[in-house]
Amino acid sequence: MNSFIVLMNKEFTQMVRDFKIIWLPLVFILLGITQPVMTYYLPTILEALGSGQGITIDPNIAAQQGGEILAGTLGAQFDQLGIIIIAISLMGIIQTDKANGMLAFILTRPVPVRSYVGGKIASNYIFTAFSVAVGYLASYLYVNLLFTNVAIFDMLTALLFYLVWILFIISFTTMISTLINSPGLIALISIAFLIGCRLIVGLSSMIDIINPASMSKHAMEVLITGSVNSNAIVNLVVSLLCAAIAIFITNYWISNKKFSNE
Amino acid sequence: MQLHYGINDLKDVDVMSFLPIVLPVILVGFILAMVALIDLYKNKKSRNNVLIWTLIIIFGNTIGPILYFVIGRKDSERA
Repeated sequence: MNSFIVLMNKEFTQMVRDFKIIWLPLVFILLGITQPVMTYYLPTILEALGSGQGITIDPNIAAQQGGEILAGTLGAQFDQLGIIIIAISLMGIIQTDKANGMLAFILTRPVPVRSYVGGKIASNYIFTAFSVAVGYLASYLYVNLLFTNVAIFDMLTALLFYLVWILFIISFTTMISTLINSPGLIALISIAFLIGCRLIVGLSSMIDIINPASMSKHAMEVLITGSVNSNAIVNLVVSLLCAAIAIFITNYWISNKKFSNE
Repeated sequence: MQLHYGINDLKDVDVMSFLPIVLPVILVGFILAMVALIDLYKNKKSRNNVLIWTLIIIFGNTIGPILYFVIGRKDSERA
């Protein structure tokens, strides 16, 4: 357990050196406040560009519910650019250690692989979850300022659901980072798979149950309707299970030394 | 539809009506670009393609600084 703490601290030091500790929260704040501001000014933008011929902007269009805008932040910003940014920032999580021989070096020490993988995922998850939460809170403040208030309980439930999806994103990217050696390919595969997961949500109720991305849909539903879907709990368990499988494969792969140094 | 605004029209634009809302967006983007530029300037001796990265950070809105932080912070071989 002790080496777990040490490896986690090492990861945090690494983040400070990479300035990740500054830019990742900033990027998510930017993503979070884009959606409310854009929606708020949409009538003005349409009016300025639409030449006013045959188009009337109904003043009532501004009466959108705050929850819908906040759901839009999750669905339109975090689930697209957000996934891409998380995947790109995590593509080197284990690959850099493989490339510069650090992984082989660490494994010559009496460090359990469990601690190594656990430390990596825990530290990166804590930090990414923090960034996402900060961006989401910024979006929440803007929504309350520009639109109607969102119930704080709904907001927190949605955030909780969304963070489960983030956990899957992180463990999946870590798994790909262990299996593959080229950073570009890692980013490409993770982004394609994760956005693919997000796209097929809602196609069929069978796939939705085993799809971790439907946690994001449940989060949006909580914000829009204010009630939790009955499938959400099953989905939560399945998503956690998916993340656990990804972590297990990573662990298995490293402990059987199936990685190569090149 | 008025697409072109002259310099005289500028005083008709009511800046204060939207500035408080838009300012944080601009500010966050600005901080991001500044952090990237300062880091690039400090390490200008050991980095490859300093000029290209400067242009990417300044003109690649939001995505430019991110790209720099993720893939641009590698030192060149000879340094």
